Amino acid sequence: MKSKPELVARKGWSGFKVSTMGKSKQTGNHKSDKKKNISKTWKTKRRTKDLDQIHSDMKPETAAKLLHQEVDFDVTGCAQHYCLHCARYFVDMKALKEHFKTKVHKKRLKQLREEPYTQAEAERAAGMGSYIPPKIIEVKTQPVEEDMD
Amino acid sequence: MRIEKCYFCSGPVYPGHGVMFVRNDCKSFRFCRSKCHKNFKKKRNPRKTRWTKAFRKASGKELTVDNSLEFEKRRNIPVKYNRELWDKTVEAMKRVEEIKRKRQAKFIMNRLKKGKVLEKEEAIQEVKKNIHLIKAPHAGKAKQMEDKMVQKLQEDIDMGDEDI
Repeated sequence: MKSKPELVARKGWSGFKVSTMGKSKQTGNHKSDKKKNISKTWKTKRRTKDLDQIHSDMKPETAAKLLHQEVDFDVTGCAQHYCLHCARYFVDMKALKEHFKTKVHKKRLKQLREEPYTQAEAERAAGMGSYIPPKIIEVKTQPVEEDMD
Repeated sequence: MRIEKCYFCSGPVYPGHGVMFVRNDCKSFRFCRSKCHKNFKKKRNPRKTRWTKAFRKASGKELTVDNSLEFEKRRNIPVKYNRELWDKTVEAMKRVEEIKRKRQAKFIMNRLKKGKVLEKEEAIQEVKKNIHLIKAPHAGKAKQMEDKMVQKLQEDIDMGDEDI
């Protein structure tokens, strides 16, 4: 008699839902200061770089410029340790290397693998032209320079 | 004046409606309503958000590649008004829309057909798997049972004979 509810569900009774909501995507520390005011982090005033901006940053010439910035005392670590994909500054080389091992960074690399969404794609989806699937791009963590001094 | 398309949901943005967000690199984004704007601010991916047109196209829920989709375009060259051309264009638009709708509906119906087939297959498999629940253990084996009975009786008689 175990199979009875399944039979009922298959008859087109729409009340049978199989977890469409899913669990909360929030991971890690729930009590960190960053997560206390999520509505504030969503304000356009505090807007961080979008994926398409990072994609344009990943072009060799801009990437080189971002990775070798001049010393700026207002920025974390004097703007010397920058993660290109996460658009974040780190205090020192050690922290940057630690960051490369984290879930946040790996997740970001995965997100960047897909070609960024554009207004053109939105228009195509609205019926202005045929759909073109997004390209998959190989994204790797920036090479770490070992300076011995 | 132009009816723009929403960046997030691809819906129409009529003049005087929605919001435009200009990012600090001068790129502008139009949104049809606050729902789309909020989702953009939360950095959601329209391709992964189930209610957007982009999702429906990306996951093969709707007609994606078709000639009827090639008519509507952003045309940046102005055309001088000509009554005949205008009439013809309006007629053509109606016809194109009609064909497009038909094809889209057909695509969805064809897509749903596969589910029906799978459903049937699954049902058959389930009945096969659980047939012991509806069938009595000895149903359709009457002849076999009778033979067995006869054999047993015969054996009993033989045994009785030996005793005497």
